[in-house]
Amino acid sequence: MIKSIKVALLAIVGLAFTATAYADFTFVSWGGAYTMSQQKAYIDTWGPVKSGKTKVRVENYNGGLGEVKAQVESGNVKWDVVDGLPVDMINGCDEGLFEKLDMDTWEGGKYSASIKENGAGSSGPISECSAPQIFWSYVVIFDPKAFPGKKPTRMKDFFDVEKFPGKRGVHTWPQAVLEMALVADGVKPTKVNSVLQAEGGPDRAFAKLEELKGHVVHWSAGAQPLELVKSGEVVMSIVYNGRAGAAILSEGASFDYIWEGQVLDGDWVAIPKGSKNKAEAIEFLKHATSCESQAGQAKYITYMPMRDCGTKIIKANEPWFHTGVDVLPHMPNTKRRLKKSVFTDPVWWADNNAELKEQWTAWMAGNKK
Amino acid sequence: MSQAANNQILTTDGIPLKVSLKKAERKNKIRAFTLVLPLLLFILITFVFPIFNMLARSVDDKQINTVFPKTFEIYKKWDQSDLPSEEMYATLFNEVITADGRQIGKASTRMNYSKSGWKSLIKKSKRQFKKIKEGPYKEKMIAIDKRWANIEYWKALGQMVDPYTMGYYLNAVDLTYDSNKKIIQQPEKRRIYNSTWWLTFEVSVLVTLFCLILGYPISYLLATLPLKFSNLLMICVLLPFWTSLLVRTVSWIVILMQKGIFNSILVWAGIIADENRMQLIYNKTGTLIAMTQILLPFMVLPLYSVMKTISPTYMRAALNLGAQPMHAFYKIYMPQTIPGISAGGLLVFVLAIGYFITPELVGGSEGLLIGHFIAYHLKTTLNWGLCSALGAILLAVMLVLYWAYNKIVGIENIKLG
Repeated sequence: MIKSIKVALLAIVGLAFTATAYADFTFVSWGGAYTMSQQKAYIDTWGPVKSGKTKVRVENYNGGLGEVKAQVESGNVKWDVVDGLPVDMINGCDEGLFEKLDMDTWEGGKYSASIKENGAGSSGPISECSAPQIFWSYVVIFDPKAFPGKKPTRMKDFFDVEKFPGKRGVHTWPQAVLEMALVADGVKPTKVNSVLQAEGGPDRAFAKLEELKGHVVHWSAGAQPLELVKSGEVVMSIVYNGRAGAAILSEGASFDYIWEGQVLDGDWVAIPKGSKNKAEAIEFLKHATSCESQAGQAKYITYMPMRDCGTKIIKANEPWFHTGVDVLPHMPNTKRRLKKSVFTDPVWWADNNAELKEQWTAWMAGNKK
Repeated sequence: MSQAANNQILTTDGIPLKVSLKKAERKNKIRAFTLVLPLLLFILITFVFPIFNMLARSVDDKQINTVFPKTFEIYKKWDQSDLPSEEMYATLFNEVITADGRQIGKASTRMNYSKSGWKSLIKKSKRQFKKIKEGPYKEKMIAIDKRWANIEYWKALGQMVDPYTMGYYLNAVDLTYDSNKKIIQQPEKRRIYNSTWWLTFEVSVLVTLFCLILGYPISYLLATLPLKFSNLLMICVLLPFWTSLLVRTVSWIVILMQKGIFNSILVWAGIIADENRMQLIYNKTGTLIAMTQILLPFMVLPLYSVMKTISPTYMRAALNLGAQPMHAFYKIYMPQTIPGISAGGLLVFVLAIGYFITPELVGGSEGLLIGHFIAYHLKTTLNWGLCSALGAILLAVMLVLYWAYNKIVGIENIKLG
């Protein structure tokens, strides 16, 4: 009896080993609905996956370069493709943590041009290491029931606690908040970056933020602000637009957006330096960033393709969302909205991130009234 | 009778007993050592080496010195009153051009810690420098980016002239170097670490205190109640302990928010008015409540195991001899629980001081403890030097506490069971 148990245990261990041996390709992203959209749009549809040759293991992480740096420096690189923010892509490429990509040779050279076409304000590839994914934004949402009379429509209203009383939800890092403060202070969205980056720009934003002091609840995880608004803890909050879109489209939540002054940012994919499957990873990136894959992702999440050809497919085929409703009304970068939006400048943030985080933390500490 | 003459006892095969014994003992020692060797190696590799590595990183400043050695040679001669000479521009130019891209990336990241902006300046320049074939470099570099004419950038290099630095430790307590490596305070708007340190200690001490106040009676009940009830009580202590940390944290949010369970009950009972709902979460109150509940088992379990061993006869004897119950409890029972109090207190404090997920979720802006900044610099700014300095200070604080504890109470008085 004991012997047969032993044999069974050994067999299980052996199976576990062979199972892990199959998982020879690792894709790392943020988890939740976003990873699900990637899985459906281009992991499941990838040739080697369909033919059963390769099994892609999907891992979650919280952004940042900590893990990549540790893997590259120790020479034990376990990740093959990483999805990340522009700041990390730029820093990682500079520090040699990612493989360089020669995207000009992809799709017969049409590649970079296709990114520039879209975006309006996005200036094409941000680093030599990263291939494009999607645009997402920090946008303000509110519960219409919280304002029986006049409803907020502009960024100014988010900062106006007299006209629209109640607490505001704001995240615990400075990105996007400073840009929004400048928009509320009367700077044209398209001019925000030049004002912010000029001498005294951040101080002007912080001065505007004084008006919110004592009226802010700070959140640190992307799901929190939706709960805050839904439960009435705050009347408005800055959220990731994809989270709001998912809540509205899939869960029937009744949120309204304030698109004016939204801050757009991107997500990119890259290959950690020294990946054991580099050639395969490049093929994967080509597939993941093809027009069809880009459009396919928008079936499951309200993040807009970075490549124009993807957007065109969506436009021609509305209602595109998998539940059978139009997805474009929830997309952050339609032509009309772009005119009123700010594109975050990853290069400038990479320079000033640390210093402004300190200043922002000091501001938050003083945020008790 | 040579044996007696030499005063030596021989074994049957003629070797002196002493030698033979030593040999056997040595064999045993080697065997014992081989048995602990894996553990020793494990501790060395996973504990001693990483700590040493962390301490080394916190003072290491070679990322840049090895990339721009000649520039720093000239820098040392510069009087800092006016923009540097053409020679310094030319040297830096050449060193940027010839250095490997990855090294430049690392160096510019380091330079960016001392002056925000170096990172993009170096990166942009490296790309454009290829077009410059000959001097004068100063003029041409300024034409590429006017930041090259900003003396503040050059002065910032002064912080990095030595291969070893205390700069990260200074940053960790809101100080910094000026261009002559004199220690100065950070600009006021950037001073956050001292207040964060105090907040972290305040929260940790308070949580430890609350855990003790709540945990002591519970442990007493657990240790003295009949088995039937104490088992049930034990399950009440352990069940939350086995529940996921995130579930417990989120439950607190549901209970404590303004329109949450606790406030609604108070409003319903007429204790507070609807518009005066209390702010119990997204501030320090929320942090303290949630952390106390989560860390409570770490106080209860050591206390319980110590109290369980205290014989009830001592108390009975004291009462028998005429002591008031309170007096007997204070004089006889309490001193015997000190090993448990110390173990629980130390355990809770150590866990609390490095906590960051729970405070971050329930604490709002007051939930950003020192652990948050270690994680932030580890992942976002990649300033591992500052991370290590923060970690090393945390380690030093713990060692000081340990030392003080040993002096006052004695480390032999700690007992986990």
